[in-house]
Amino acid sequence: MRRALTLVVSGMVAALLGILALGGLSAAATATDKEAANEAKSVSEAAKRAGKKDPYAPVVYGDR
Amino acid sequence: MVEQTTGVGAPPVRRVRDALPLYAVAAAVTVLVLAPLAAPGYALLYDMVFVPRQPLSWDLVAPAQTLPRAVPMDALMSLVTQLVPGWAVQRVALGGAVLLAAVGAGRLVPTERLAVRLLAAVAYAWTPYLAERLLIGQWGLLLAYAALPWLVRAALDLRAGRDGALARVVLAAAPAAITPTGGLIALGTVVLLVWDRTRLRRSALVVGGVALLNAPWVTAALVTGAGGSSDPAGVAAFAARSENWAGPLVALAGTGGVWSAQATPSSRAAPLVPLATLLLLILAGVGAGLLRRRLPPGTAVRLAVLAGIACLLAALGVLPGGAAALRWAVVHLPGAGLLRDGQKFLAPYALLLVVCAALGAERLVARIDREVAGVVLVGLLLLPVAVMPDLAFGGAGRLRPVSYPADWQVVAERVAGEPGEILALPLSAYQAYPWNPGRVVLDPLPRYLPGTVLTDDTLRVGDVAVAGENPRLREVRRVLAEGLPVSATGVRWVVVQHQLPSEVDPATLRDLEAVHEGPFLTLYRNPAVPPESNPPGLGAWAVVMALGAALLVVMAAAISALHRRPTAW
Repeated sequence: MRRALTLVVSGMVAALLGILALGGLSAAATATDKEAANEAKSVSEAAKRAGKKDPYAPVVYGDR
Repeated sequence: MVEQTTGVGAPPVRRVRDALPLYAVAAAVTVLVLAPLAAPGYALLYDMVFVPRQPLSWDLVAPAQTLPRAVPMDALMSLVTQLVPGWAVQRVALGGAVLLAAVGAGRLVPTERLAVRLLAAVAYAWTPYLAERLLIGQWGLLLAYAALPWLVRAALDLRAGRDGALARVVLAAAPAAITPTGGLIALGTVVLLVWDRTRLRRSALVVGGVALLNAPWVTAALVTGAGGSSDPAGVAAFAARSENWAGPLVALAGTGGVWSAQATPSSRAAPLVPLATLLLLILAGVGAGLLRRRLPPGTAVRLAVLAGIACLLAALGVLPGGAAALRWAVVHLPGAGLLRDGQKFLAPYALLLVVCAALGAERLVARIDREVAGVVLVGLLLLPVAVMPDLAFGGAGRLRPVSYPADWQVVAERVAGEPGEILALPLSAYQAYPWNPGRVVLDPLPRYLPGTVLTDDTLRVGDVAVAGENPRLREVRRVLAEGLPVSATGVRWVVVQHQLPSEVDPATLRDLEAVHEGPFLTLYRNPAVPPESNPPGLGAWAVVMALGAALLVVMAAAISALHRRPTAW
């Protein structure tokens, strides 16, 4: 009984990790050039709203 | 290190059969991480700059006015791209780094269980360290990361007195030493793992060999006009960064914590990430004893000391008193500027953590029955990917190849005919090009154009401006700040880059002759300055000599290694 329970629990955890990994991988795989550019744009706009320097402006190496 | 399943004594067919799954998993991880590089072009992201054919210019071999951050990497790139196009070199370098990191870590684990090796391979090739250094474009550092398990293995073989290990130590250290940081990591690894007072001659020979691999950048640092000190503002700007609620020390414990938010995968901000780090640390703690028992006496302690030094250097900027000490050091100690971005030294810790965690998993599953053990190992294999899936596919699309506009080649050809100093405007170290959307990259002009290209060396991190070291740039900035025309800077050529957020005031370009006007670049000639090629100074020749000595050491090691093989192929 204990063995079966251990197998079921560890199987469920492994399956969860598998789903997370596959879900994340498919999200990463379907990220297009346009989406990457949109993400950069939204980061730029958020920085402007917060009164910070735009991390994608040419003079900024990065933001902490 | 100990390799029990694929020992030297095993028949070749069995050795190949045993190694195949490891190489297959490593190849799968490599494809998963670098899939976008299947498209043609150049992936240009932050410090990652590859060009079709990098000119073999003196300024790339021995920078006269800047610190040698890319010595001898640039010289090697210039040599290699004379024969192989830059796009191919980029794929070989990045693909080789991920593949060899995975295989090296897998082979390093002293275990008989293949699943444990696979676990180490995936975990080492899927660390936040690899992801962050890839996304900040520091591919030279990735080569050092990939070389590290091979170097550790060769160093331990040398301690054990195995045949040919000395040559393998030098060969494994060579790719690491293409950047100053990688060279120092390799040297520290060799000093700590190989040094043996009872075998002084052998120890001195191998340490001397690896020290010689560091000679090019050390020589370049001694002869550059940039001086040895750096801006202390960089200490806070480049200190380890918190990824989530747990703070920078926990980020470092999970091998992350790079200073740049843009180079950190978004998944690292998730609130559960510190729990995954905790799990990894517990597993590593469980496996540490096994590692100590399976390695020769004292070896695990040496590895732990190496990892401890790596952690200390990485955390120095955020430890109480550490930042102040570092600020003093970068001003007063020549070369201490290397320590500002301390997280890059974390590679030895990442390796020990992964090896111990893999052994911890082995110890864990040894207590449970076979079916459950298989399920647990599969779960642990998936854990790094589940926690940080956005490393896949080039950091979820951040690494995507683009083509240089045709303008760039035209300008390179025009400049090649009349040598002289080139000024790139607008003055900025990093650029965001419309043809490389959503990405910032170190201005590629210094690597694309033949000759000395002046670009700004001030690094802006958020609101902080970290001053560069180039005295010639300081002079150019002073001239422009005084409102004088660009022609007064004394440069022969001026390249103005268009379609960028900042623009160049046309009034500053008076007195210049436009020789090429394209949609992305305009090239101006300064008629007040005649074409001239400055002969290299003694310092530049000293760097070439050091580079030659390092290449000789590598060639000698390669010949020695080939002679010891039953067949050379």
